[in-house]
Amino acid sequence: MAFSSKAASLALSLLLGLTLCTTALARDDAARLAALKSRVQSMDAETTYVEAITQIQTLGRAFGYYTDKGYFGEAADLFTDDGSFQWGVDGVYKGKAHIRELLTRHGGGSMTDGPGLPFGRLNLRMQLQPVVTVAADGNSAHARWREWGLLGEYKKYATWGDAIIEDDYVKDNDVWKIATRRYFLNFEAPYQGGWASLKPVSGNWQSDVAKSFPADAPAPVQYQPFPAVFVPPYDYADGTLRAIRSRAPFDAPKRPDDALGKLEALADAKELQLARAHSVRAIENLQAMYGYYIDKGQWRQAASLFSRDGTYEFGQSGVYVGKAHVERALSLMGPPGLEAGQLNNYVMAQPIINISDDNRTAKARWRSDVELARDGKGRWGGGVYENEYVNDKGTWKFSKLHYYVTFWGDYDLGWQAKPYPMDPPSTTIAPDRPPTLVYQSFPKLHIVPFHYNNPVSGKPTPGEQE
Amino acid sequence: MRKSVAKYCTLLCGLLLTIALTSLSAAAQANSHDANELQGIEKQLNGLGDRIQRLQDLTDIEIVQDAYGYYVDKAQWHYLADLFAPDATLEIGGKGVFLGRARVFEYMHVGLGRLGPHDGSLIDHQQFQCLPTINPDGVSGAIRCIAFVMSSGGWGHNYYEDRFVKLNGVWQFRKLRGPFNMYSGYKVGWLDNTILNTTPEKWPPYPDLPPSVLYMTFPNYYVEPYHYPNPVTGKPMPTPSPRAGGLAFGR
Repeated sequence: MAFSSKAASLALSLLLGLTLCTTALARDDAARLAALKSRVQSMDAETTYVEAITQIQTLGRAFGYYTDKGYFGEAADLFTDDGSFQWGVDGVYKGKAHIRELLTRHGGGSMTDGPGLPFGRLNLRMQLQPVVTVAADGNSAHARWREWGLLGEYKKYATWGDAIIEDDYVKDNDVWKIATRRYFLNFEAPYQGGWASLKPVSGNWQSDVAKSFPADAPAPVQYQPFPAVFVPPYDYADGTLRAIRSRAPFDAPKRPDDALGKLEALADAKELQLARAHSVRAIENLQAMYGYYIDKGQWRQAASLFSRDGTYEFGQSGVYVGKAHVERALSLMGPPGLEAGQLNNYVMAQPIINISDDNRTAKARWRSDVELARDGKGRWGGGVYENEYVNDKGTWKFSKLHYYVTFWGDYDLGWQAKPYPMDPPSTTIAPDRPPTLVYQSFPKLHIVPFHYNNPVSGKPTPGEQE
Repeated sequence: MRKSVAKYCTLLCGLLLTIALTSLSAAAQANSHDANELQGIEKQLNGLGDRIQRLQDLTDIEIVQDAYGYYVDKAQWHYLADLFAPDATLEIGGKGVFLGRARVFEYMHVGLGRLGPHDGSLIDHQQFQCLPTINPDGVSGAIRCIAFVMSSGGWGHNYYEDRFVKLNGVWQFRKLRGPFNMYSGYKVGWLDNTILNTTPEKWPPYPDLPPSVLYMTFPNYYVEPYHYPNPVTGKPMPTPSPRAGGLAFGR
């Protein structure tokens, strides 16, 4: 009997354990399942967010290709029915029909003949450097763009155009549309003499188009164009910096070897892939944002985009280390906010962005064209960035910015007839380290080292001769 | 007493066994319920994976296009040709069609110049405003880009309307088309432009096929068809006015 009593208590405790164990397991599984479901939901939202950035980039670029070729009706169709277009200080044009006519009149098209341009009309309006910020609810968005125009009429006139575009977008029936466009024309400068030859405007500088085709409402912002320095308001100056954020680096935990664990591991892998796709857009935004600050001499804001020990090197400037030194190095370009008559346009284009496998760091190559003016003299520049970035708790920052100068050239004579050499390291604001690579700019040519292998063959591309 | 303890034990054991079995069967039930749910989640994750892959694909084809631009800059023709599928085609300006990777190399090397950069000769071939799309099959895609040229000769503006194929998981050019828009010298820019297009016969190499379209560049009008529909209306591109490019247009 003693035996059976012992056996009974053993059975009792085993059963008790089993009971507790199965209920606890069921509870634990339920919690894991709920966590996984909510992760899938937030990944879905994040994917939609990154898709939205891509779709808005497409919208802006499609606009450029339409206006280039006189497809002004197609361009106006990119707006909401009650969309609006504020052109410089001319005023605000409302509704697709007025937007179409506005673009047609500025571009030299026809309201009756269908898409196209007449013989000899040039209306190339390149849409560059978007900074796209999608609202938290995913239904509205903003972007800043740069328009670089090559405009004119054969044997009559040729001009350069320069403008900043600030857009609001809405998602309407699952389709992104332009709701409000604010087109801040900075100049239309004659090819002969260029922007440096422009004189300050006084009084009303409305365009001829506005005189014959008045706007529906006055422009809410009045400003003076170049050579005055006007900073079109930034939509991303809201302090959230969502445009340059993606997912903070994370280490996926080891998942249990059960059915749920396999799914958790699958989610980990997709989440990392998504984070890296998101990071590509964040770095595009970061580089573009940096360019817009440099445009306007906003050295402190530009330096704030660097990591604490981030480095800056421009041509043969040598290397500046840390935000404070970066800001001082940038100030070599001019006083904060620039001086009247100073143009400091740094176009950011042609990105090759590679995010590290763990989403912690990235490298990118960029193209930059430069349009400068100071003291009434215009200058061209061209070069390539090879930059490095770090994911700082989800916010992307520059850890290394390195601009390699290809050429500097006089505006009036061109880079071929009158190239300028690079500046040597500054003696007034000395760098922390000498240049990492000594080279000469045009008429000498050098191959900027590539951070990436050939994207198709996978072979490294040597920085020097083949 | 012992008997009653044993009886009590048996009763308790029975009760616990019942609870254990019930919760086990509940767990089993939950598991079978989960199995369906887990399948659903797996499907969702794979669906998300496809969308994420499209995002990556868009970036990847733009990288091939942008890499092409950087290779042109420095006349790195071997590396440039490596971006093309073996049977890819190339057609630039009015020069006609070149078939296969080897002919792509020849177009560049024989037609445009010796390998590598040469001091005093600038050929910066910048890629702007790229608009990539991926087809639903996930292994073919297209891009429209602007090449903005700053060279020793002056300015150039042309479009690229390129097609891509994903072979062995790698995006590469299947068909490169570079219709010219405007080429001009530096001194007066596009005010007075004389470079109307290239032709098949003026300089080697000569093409495998004649130009697929005959057109002249600025001051004339030509629009290379957009490979994508209007992103808002979804409608395909309307044809340009038959009067476009004429002096009578709009009058």
